[in-house]
Amino acid sequence: MTQNQGSAHESPRDAIDVSDVTCTFGRVRALDGLSMRVSTGTVVGIVGPNGAGKTTLIDVICGLVRPMSGTVRVLGQDVTSNAAALRARIGVLPQETALYDEVTPHQNLRFAAALYDVPNAEQRIAEVLELVGLSARAGDVVRGFSGGMQRRLAIARALLHNPPLLILDEPTVGVDVEARHQIWAHIRALRAGGRTVVLTTNYLDEAEALCDRVVILRSGKVIADDTPAALAARTGRCLELECREEGARQLAEALRSHRGVLRAEVVDFGLRVYLAAEVSPEDVVRDARQVVPVEGFRTRSPDLVEVFRALTAAGSAA
Amino acid sequence: MRVFRASAALEMAQLRSSRGFVALTALAAVSFLVMVCLFGLTGAYAPVALIDRDGSPHSRRFAEALLGAHHSFALKSISLAEAEAALGTGRLVGIITIPAGFGDSVSRGVTVPIDVRIDNVNVDLTNDVQRALPAAIVAFGRREQYPGVRVRMAEHDVLPHDTGYIPYLVVSALALDAMVIAGILGAMATAREWERRTVKLLRLSPAPSSAVLAGKLAVAGGVAAAALAVTVLMIVVGYGVVPVAPWTTAFALAACVAIFTCLGAWLGALLKRTLAAVPLLFGLAMPLYVDSGALEPTRFDGQAIWIIAHASPIYYAVGVLEWAFHGLRVTPESVFVDLAILAGIAVLSMGLTLGSLARGGAR
Repeated sequence: MTQNQGSAHESPRDAIDVSDVTCTFGRVRALDGLSMRVSTGTVVGIVGPNGAGKTTLIDVICGLVRPMSGTVRVLGQDVTSNAAALRARIGVLPQETALYDEVTPHQNLRFAAALYDVPNAEQRIAEVLELVGLSARAGDVVRGFSGGMQRRLAIARALLHNPPLLILDEPTVGVDVEARHQIWAHIRALRAGGRTVVLTTNYLDEAEALCDRVVILRSGKVIADDTPAALAARTGRCLELECREEGARQLAEALRSHRGVLRAEVVDFGLRVYLAAEVSPEDVVRDARQVVPVEGFRTRSPDLVEVFRALTAAGSAA
Repeated sequence: MRVFRASAALEMAQLRSSRGFVALTALAAVSFLVMVCLFGLTGAYAPVALIDRDGSPHSRRFAEALLGAHHSFALKSISLAEAEAALGTGRLVGIITIPAGFGDSVSRGVTVPIDVRIDNVNVDLTNDVQRALPAAIVAFGRREQYPGVRVRMAEHDVLPHDTGYIPYLVVSALALDAMVIAGILGAMATAREWERRTVKLLRLSPAPSSAVLAGKLAVAGGVAAAALAVTVLMIVVGYGVVPVAPWTTAFALAACVAIFTCLGAWLGALLKRTLAAVPLLFGLAMPLYVDSGALEPTRFDGQAIWIIAHASPIYYAVGVLEWAFHGLRVTPESVFVDLAILAGIAVLSMGLTLGSLARGGAR
């Protein structure tokens, strides 16, 4: 590759440093004193319910929205004063893909190459099309492409100017399972290549599968920022008890006041109990058997969906 | 220049994929031309029967005077029976009858009544007869040197040449065409960025939006100019209306296309939807056209209409085009003032469009 934008600059330790940023639109406070950092060369997922502030955070990082207060540094530079220069070093996949669908992938990329002043444009276009597996469709009109192909083309466009920082806003929304896994493979390849990737997603399995760290937003605030494993550990262990439905309800009531039980949910096979890290599952099983017959049990780490629900439920309660 | 060229190439590719829409837009230009010509011709050839029951030299000379008077008739010499049948079935507007003994009576100094029967379905036709017959009677009397006609017109034209109504109309139609074609193509060029949501791509890129916009509008304006050239060709070849200053005309047309492309681009950026911008442009074009000196110089239409006309870009465009095509000055403002105001509208439109692109309308 003969690109320059990424390699010409010294890589700072943090690719993104957002500090105490507040952003309001009318009476809506989209970001509320938000701070986060993204280390260079990592993949960070931003998850949160709709309206949590994910897209606003991306717009702030890209310099499209100026925050009311706080500072944003991207690739070592202040976004507010260097927005135009920084745009040349950031690759963005917008949520809405934003492709010219009446023309071909090649024509889309030719235009993007001109916008970003990509040297040896034809060669680079061929490279990124090859990378996303669209070389054979380079001359077809984009309108006929599936959602997954359009997403891959948009990723190719984001990569075209070889940016050191990639921001992918919901990269797999609306695509089928196969295309989703293809996109995941591309993102993993980008991380292997040393690029910093920030992605927003509503799919927690995606964040768990791809991200070194996950930042959970709620109402414009960071409510958790850690590795997927650490977040799961923070939520505690998950104990699944097999028992009859009536027994499960009785048991849920009984365990609600048990020390170290964070939450209990009645499920189709019995009861799912979330335990604090310091509590022994065997102690809970023994106490449960004194209330109702328990036919079997198993323990496991919670997945990110369960972490997310636990954290956002806690946020709601607060 | 790199971004300008790439933007122009992309716009051209997009227009190629919308060939049907572009062709229909160009067709609208021709249809407007036909429409204003039909308007000009409407009522100009109302069939009226002239029944000469006298057949004397006097009656023939009166018929000649009637032909020479200003009116909108197509005079036909047919029998009374045919004329009455045609009048009854709506194929004739009126019947003018020169009575038997007309020649003898006028020779003797006796006043002769000319019988007129008219289909007064539209009072405009009645008014036309009421204007034409006295004019013909006066012309006849003057030619025959009858006593009593003591006033005659001494005409001194302001301009060295007359301009027919249709030649005047077709040139003003070019201003309407420029607004509709260039406006729609300019609006498409910008509104599509919001429809495809590619406006965010432009905002995210380090390239200046002005270069992207200039590239897109250059192509939109170029296609509009080509469509307008076809209309001009129709005017020159089909109607035989030749511009007195071809290069000035070409420049004036190019300026109008550029200005209306910018105006359309702003409307597209404002409304963010082609489907909203196109009907608005059509809807605005007609009243602005009528109140723009298109049918005659607006300053002759009353103070209120003339003042309102100053808000219409077509008013200034008609001023420039009539000057370039026919050498006419139809606005009290000089042609350079007209051009300056049009250029000001273009610059303002470009500024507003760039502002919209910068904001992106994401929220």
